Amino acid sequence: MIVSRAERAANYAVLVLFAAFALAPIVVALGTALTPSTTSPGGLEVFRQAWTEGEFSRYMLTSATVAAVVVTVAVLASILAGYAFGTMRVRGSGWLFPLFLLGLMVPAEAIVVPLFYDLRTLGLTNTLWAVALPQIAQSIAFGTYWMRAYFRAAPRPVMEAAVLDGAGSWRTLWSILVPIGRPAVVTLVLLVFMWTWNEFLIPLVMSPNGTFRTAPLALALFKGQHVQATGLLAAAAVLVALPVVVVYLFLQRHFIRGMVEGAVRE
Amino acid sequence: MRSSTATAATAGGLALALMLAACAPGTGTEESPSEQPQEISTDVAALGDITLTVWDQEVRGGQDEQMTQLNAAFEELYPNVTIDRVSSSFDDLETTLRGALTGDDAPDVVQANNTRGTMGAFVEAGLLLDLDDYADAYGWRDRYSESVLAVSSYGDGGATFGEGALYGLPQTGEIVGIFYSRAALAAAGIDEEALRSGTWSDFTAALATAQGSGATAIQLGNLDGWPAGHVFGPIQGQHVPADEIAALGMGNAGASWTTPENEAAAAELQQWVEAGYFNDGPNGTDYDAAWQSFSEGSAVFLIGGSWLAADLEAAMAEDVGFMAPPPAEAGGPVATTGGTGLPFAITAQSPNAAAAAAYIDFITSDDAMQMLADTGNMPVNRTAELAPAEGVNAEIFEAFGTVSESGSLLPYLDWATPTMGDTLGAGLQDLIGGQATPTEFLEGLEADYSAFTQGG
Amino acid sequence: MRRGQRRWLPYAYLGPALLLFGGFLLYPLARSVQYSLYSWDGLGASTFVGLDNYVALVQEEQLRDAFGHALVLIGFFAVLPLAIGLLLAAVLNRGRVRGLGLFRTVVFLPQVIAMVVVAVAWRQIYAPEGTLNTVLRAVGLEQLTRSWLGDYTWTLPAVGMVGTWVQTGLVTVLLLAGMARLPREQYEAARLDGAGAVREFFSLTLPSIRAEIAVALTLTIVAALKTFDLVYVTTGGGPGTSTTVPAYEVFQRAFREGAVGSATAIAVTLTVLIFAINLVVNRYVDRVEP
Repeated sequence: MIVSRAERAANYAVLVLFAAFALAPIVVALGTALTPSTTSPGGLEVFRQAWTEGEFSRYMLTSATVAAVVVTVAVLASILAGYAFGTMRVRGSGWLFPLFLLGLMVPAEAIVVPLFYDLRTLGLTNTLWAVALPQIAQSIAFGTYWMRAYFRAAPRPVMEAAVLDGAGSWRTLWSILVPIGRPAVVTLVLLVFMWTWNEFLIPLVMSPNGTFRTAPLALALFKGQHVQATGLLAAAAVLVALPVVVVYLFLQRHFIRGMVEGAVRE
Repeated sequence: MRSSTATAATAGGLALALMLAACAPGTGTEESPSEQPQEISTDVAALGDITLTVWDQEVRGGQDEQMTQLNAAFEELYPNVTIDRVSSSFDDLETTLRGALTGDDAPDVVQANNTRGTMGAFVEAGLLLDLDDYADAYGWRDRYSESVLAVSSYGDGGATFGEGALYGLPQTGEIVGIFYSRAALAAAGIDEEALRSGTWSDFTAALATAQGSGATAIQLGNLDGWPAGHVFGPIQGQHVPADEIAALGMGNAGASWTTPENEAAAAELQQWVEAGYFNDGPNGTDYDAAWQSFSEGSAVFLIGGSWLAADLEAAMAEDVGFMAPPPAEAGGPVATTGGTGLPFAITAQSPNAAAAAAYIDFITSDDAMQMLADTGNMPVNRTAELAPAEGVNAEIFEAFGTVSESGSLLPYLDWATPTMGDTLGAGLQDLIGGQATPTEFLEGLEADYSAFTQGG
Repeated sequence: MRRGQRRWLPYAYLGPALLLFGGFLLYPLARSVQYSLYSWDGLGASTFVGLDNYVALVQEEQLRDAFGHALVLIGFFAVLPLAIGLLLAAVLNRGRVRGLGLFRTVVFLPQVIAMVVVAVAWRQIYAPEGTLNTVLRAVGLEQLTRSWLGDYTWTLPAVGMVGTWVQTGLVTVLLLAGMARLPREQYEAARLDGAGAVREFFSLTLPSIRAEIAVALTLTIVAALKTFDLVYVTTGGGPGTSTTVPAYEVFQRAFREGAVGSATAIAVTLTVLIFAINLVVNRYVDRVEP
């Protein structure tokens, strides 16, 4: 394609400008963390200090546990439900499936208040389940929708061949469809992991005594105690963001595809 | 698909309506939290192995130190008790306490703000243990002055504040006053002795002098709203009779915010803003960042609570001084916001009430008061005899003594109603930001106060 | 699929999802509606008050303001990123520049960072002695410095800018994906006709990515309406109540002020609003793309 040299230069200028806009706050945070001050050691030492003072080993472990449970349960349930919607004739799917789509739009704010008070009555607040189950439900809404799209697009001949071989629906799913659909499943796993890791409101509300305090929540409380030590606070912020960012840098195609296609389809 | 969304919503709605039993919110939680009143016992060693969960907000340097030491000493005295301490900042504790206290595994001991919104609401809902029996068993009424116990007392199941049953004991005394930097005073040409022995108008003149010399007169970090309450309190003390402030602050009927006296107080605060006494953008400055930069010499004065003393002294050593807001006339009575630190209370659900009471007794004992003083805090009892010989704490202890003996300690204004903390915080930000006139500011407070006193 | 498929089979597969989704999303949603008809402090007993909480929603100035602030945030979360994204995507799509992959990775990055982290970072940028004011002073724009999080005019836009920062990457990447679908030949043809960059954009590019625009708007508008963490960490709704938003009011009322009924009424209204916006945007797309 023919584009003038001047236009090309301008294009690169725009590119660099907006990349800089996207990176600037991250660079500032890193810079703040690494610069030594009266309240913060700077260098790499600051991360060690933030890690210990914020007890992040404990909260990261909580975050990881919650994320593992949510990802496992939500992805499994989504695969099963997506399989049913995508390949079987489900009576009532005319209103049942849209119900899941409706769930995609429900904000956490709309469910968290009664969830808290009802689970409290059942004595379930401050447990892993109080923090994980609402997030599982939210993830299932998207997961079912996402996996259904995959199963609908799955190659019919392969499925028919499996049926001819005498494979039941269960075996067709696990030994044929899921293995070929690995990219779709990986994308779902990554998205659910990211959402769960980054979630703030649900763990804030559902574990008032701090037993299941996740890393972002610990960061918000760390802020309350160390607001004057900007370097330390910035270091803690970097630590909390790091796991998702690292995974993103390696598998960014999945993230982008999931969020773009997941939104555009249908 | 679009039309089926509506169908789905209708169908789902119907199905769920059926599932929602006839269960109104709050009906499942009404069984009384503790089945049997537990036996009043002071023999902790006989209680067997116990883990006592304690929630406090003693996170700043000296506060954290005394708590750590007292907890260790308690565990040493009673090896059968393990203390599980959860500490968080004041704001974070306020946020989480309401949820935690109503849960099944509530902590045993909590530091609950005296306010109607916190302690009052908990008492009303039967979530805190009435401590009267333990007060008799341990002799707390002899240990504490009546006025201190009053602000941790609620009567008629939370309806009246300031009398009735006892629900908590504080460790520390608090007084809001004026911190200053000696170096900054000298640089601005203000004489410290004259200031300390002067009157309120001498102080406001000093503010103008400081501002005129190019310095920031007062450092304020009001991002959270409540810190300006500690500036407004002493100003209000200059203009409004103490008994009226007490009624307003404790949410008891019979007073009014919309009086010429309150108007004068609000106007004076706003004048300070207009005169440029404060740092740039106090509403956008964090509380902790503010005292931090004050300690680095950014301003001449900082109006705040005695709880900042330990950290300020650590940073500024002999440069920091403290005085109570000076009286209207030389030698006259002094009035300022103050009282006690947050009281420690026992939850009604706690199965370890006896151990919890022993713990509270321990951390408020005469020896504990010594420990508090040693770590730079102001103990609520034995204040005068434990006063240090020098340093900013000597000045704070002296100020507290003067005010509590011959002046008036005024309640924190956010004690008044469950929503007053937010109303006052937002109102003060509006006043300081020039968004509200003194009249509008006071009308907002009056609406909150009168809705509560008439409704309750 | 096999013809004689057992009738219950699909429901066995749907079971776990339905149970979890129904129990922890639909049921609490319905409970929210129910709660919103009561006056309850979250501690004691409740009283049925009908629609009073919704009436208060309209009457209470602070709540009207909160929804107003959410509207302003939509400008920063949705409209501004869309404008920037359209410009960026058009430029990049036309130019076929190198390094597009890297660029995509970089501008999308804000999307994967936890909002709390974002808020903490921006709070430091906006602090009185923070990065923004330091930079302004350094380049001689002293008069523009201000207390970004304590200013009645500027705090809401300052919070909104964080949204712009977060959402622009997502919108750009979405639009780029849409534009990439368009066959090259159409552009070639347009250029042979002598169409300039601007005409090419309006007559060719824009109509072909309506679906992506709709999706971008839906996602970002919903994000704007749901804003909670950002306000909670940066301003706490202040100064005054100038940056409070519906989601923040829900939290404050339900868990700090003990006004559970009012909180759920706000939450329900917010949800209805989100549904309505989705419906409108989707209707619009349906009409233009048969």
